[in-house]
Amino acid sequence: MREILVIGSGIAGMTAAIMCAEQGMHVTLVSPFPSERSQSVMAAGGINAVLKNNDQGDSVESHIEDTINGGCGIAGRDSVEGLCRGAEDIIGILEKCGAVFTRTPGGKIATRNFGGQSHKRTCYCGTSTGKQIVTALVMETRRFESQGLIERKLWHDFHSALIKDGVCYGALLYDEASRSLEPIYADAVIVATGGQNAIFGKTTGSTQCDGYTAGRLFMQGAELKNLEFIQYHPTTIETPQKRMLVSEAARGEGGRLFYINDGERIYFMEDKYGSRGNLMTRDVVSREIYEAGSQVYLDVSFLDSKLIDERLPEIKDICSKYIGLDISKEPVPVSPSVHFFMGGLAVHDDHQTNIRNLYAVGECASKYHGANRLGGNSLLAAIYSGATAAEAINKAETGEEIIRPDLKDYIDAEVSALEKSMASMSSFPVMYVRDMLAENMNRDLGIVRDEESLDQGIKEIDYYLSICDQIKYDSSVLPYFNYSLKGILVLARAVMTSAKERRESRGAHYRSDFPNADDNQAYSSIISYDDGKYNVRLDKENAYES
Amino acid sequence: MKVNILRQQSPFSEPYWESFIYDGPEDNTVAGLLDYINYNDDIVNTDGEKTGRIAWECSCLQSVCGSCAMVINGRPSLACETFLRDLKGDEISIRPLSKFPVISDLVVDRASIFESLKASNAYIEEFVSEERGDHELQYASAKCLKCGLCLEVCPNYRKGRKFFGATFANDCYLIYLRSNVMSKDIRKEYVSHFGNACSKSLSCMDVCPAGIPLLSEIAAMNRSKR
Ligand SMILES: Cc1cc2nc3c(=O)[nH]c(=O)nc-3n(C[C@H](O)[C@H](O)[C@H](O)COP(=O)(O)OP(=O)(O)OC[C@H]3O[C@@H](n4cnc5c(N)ncnc54)[C@H](O)[C@@H]3O)c2cc1C
Ligand code: FES
Repeated sequence: MREILVIGSGIAGMTAAIMCAEQGMHVTLVSPFPSERSQSVMAAGGINAVLKNNDQGDSVESHIEDTINGGCGIAGRDSVEGLCRGAEDIIGILEKCGAVFTRTPGGKIATRNFGGQSHKRTCYCGTSTGKQIVTALVMETRRFESQGLIERKLWHDFHSALIKDGVCYGALLYDEASRSLEPIYADAVIVATGGQNAIFGKTTGSTQCDGYTAGRLFMQGAELKNLEFIQYHPTTIETPQKRMLVSEAARGEGGRLFYINDGERIYFMEDKYGSRGNLMTRDVVSREIYEAGSQVYLDVSFLDSKLIDERLPEIKDICSKYIGLDISKEPVPVSPSVHFFMGGLAVHDDHQTNIRNLYAVGECASKYHGANRLGGNSLLAAIYSGATAAEAINKAETGEEIIRPDLKDYIDAEVSALEKSMASMSSFPVMYVRDMLAENMNRDLGIVRDEESLDQGIKEIDYYLSICDQIKYDSSVLPYFNYSLKGILVLARAVMTSAKERRESRGAHYRSDFPNADDNQAYSSIISYDDGKYNVRLDKENAYES
Repeated sequence: MKVNILRQQSPFSEPYWESFIYDGPEDNTVAGLLDYINYNDDIVNTDGEKTGRIAWECSCLQSVCGSCAMVINGRPSLACETFLRDLKGDEISIRPLSKFPVISDLVVDRASIFESLKASNAYIEEFVSEERGDHELQYASAKCLKCGLCLEVCPNYRKGRKFFGATFANDCYLIYLRSNVMSKDIRKEYVSHFGNACSKSLSCMDVCPAGIPLLSEIAAMNRSKR
């Protein structure tokens, strides 16, 4: 029986695990915490799919066009076509495992408007779409756990991949219970560790998504793609513990953005872009808010309070609980905040990286969203990518016995490096370096960037990297936080470098020194790592697209 | 403000109370308070001694993932939605959930919640082709965070015993109504691991951060005679 190792148990990881198990493979599903704690549960708004019986005149073709246009022309057309054509089946799969979709009075799956889309095609489960999908997938995963085909490993963190000569044979995991490293061998490894939130400190998403796995794999030879495209969500609120998302559903249901000038409300999005102005793509709305230069408000208070209670209860609840504001009475002060990463591990159409038998799925992979993601497309991509990788792995079965190389030297070296580090002590707190990094990233890689700020950012990260190997073990935090620091810093350096090298403005990447798009740069960027050197190229040969 | 925290280095060491002074913003949550204490270069207790950072689990920081469940001033709560302004007195006590083994400080291992669901084959497998029963109640049921607060207050729940508690009953309800193939079996599991032993103190409903109306689910299960 083929052995598959899935790292990360959010929506993408669970989907990959379920689909592999369904095809008779044995899966080890690794994450420090259960799926209920993953970022996937936070997705509120919905998942895009053109359903055959839609009465909006929508078509898969227009979903494809919206996705390509939203991504500013650099996402691979074939991949996007696959994603959009597969969407209806995905909704079918979720329905089959019991996800509680909101339905119309006629019993059809209900849809809502989302930004950058020509039709109402965002299917949703009340205001907790991600959570409802996670609940359904957890149950489906459990079905295969009961059959012995999926085995969950909790309290385990990714340490590094077992790679030799461009082929992946498994991974080293850190076991928090035994406090030691453990090698797990597999015929294929699927990485599903989510976004790169921690390089920016606290984002709208989960604190568990730290980007370490992508950073470490990059150091081990995996290429990364489109890192400069970081989505700022236009409408977030300031709370004592983080910036919290006010879902696009608010604008989908009619919410309006304005600022106040001389006592008058200026509906700047509608003034500039017409009646659908509030639902422009997120990159555009965020930049307009940034350029408005004064406090922007999101207003839904004019909507029928019954509609607010029925369709936007989660937003009402968040605003009331965390900022003491009743959205049915007052407009909400909002501003943009880091939310989603279009960039990540570069993958081919089958979601394999440039390292054989190493796959990446979900938000940690870069594939469908180009320079800007449409709301509702990432849950779809998380599931589609998980299913695609599983199918590819199944097809790649040759029946040949894989001869594993001897990886003992690598494993021994990593085990002793970790032990040595844990035996040393440092007065330099690891978390302090992480906090400083986040401060720099937010300052130097904002909605608007320029060469000077990016050079400054690179200089700062290089300094942290130069002291990183001298920082010994910080016993006040878990070993994971110690060993993950370097991978996180290297990833941040790669993000900064990619942003510096794209000398144009496109989607979520806006350079004040190069404010226009340049057709010669209308390609994905690929970055590779060679012993401390960061090499960026534009993928003009479509190395990652069929 | 004085903050007393029940700490424990590892699963095998003894717990002990340690106190800290919190001088951060008043408009904060307990999650924000823990972050604030941990943020400093050195963290120092009220005896002026340097000490390790306080381990606690978090992920979403907006009360949808259940990570940060702990006992705050005697009440099982989520740290990220408990505001300091709502706590009485000028001292705060924080301890880990007591129904689960401690990993370190406020981090506990809630594997037992998932083990009982796995042991009873709690899955839907195939959705009934058309939804039956109360949609809103099923939606609420699928929002269960598996945080364990309900098990912490439950007078009947003890790890390793036959009674699996409210998290289990909640999932049974969802499966019972939505599964084409598992309905019958799950009802049997429900009866033997919940229905017969729940003493209906319903304190679980008071502490549920997702506001799940368990009583309605129990009523629906008890009405069913499949
Ligand atoms: C507030 C919010 C609202 C959103 N709303 C929507 C929406 O309405 N529609 C939409 O399409 N998208 C939405 N998104 C985006 C979407 O939720 C995510 O892109 C998607 O859920 C990512 O799923 P994933 O499985 O790739 O990763 P995640 O759900 O982040 O899972 C990552 C997994 O990897 C594990 N992991 C991380 N690091 C390690 C490690 N080192 N070792 C082992 N395991 C590790 C984690 O524990 C977790 O299990 C939203 C995001 C946020 C933050
Ligand atoms: S951190 Fe998710 S519930 Fe508190």
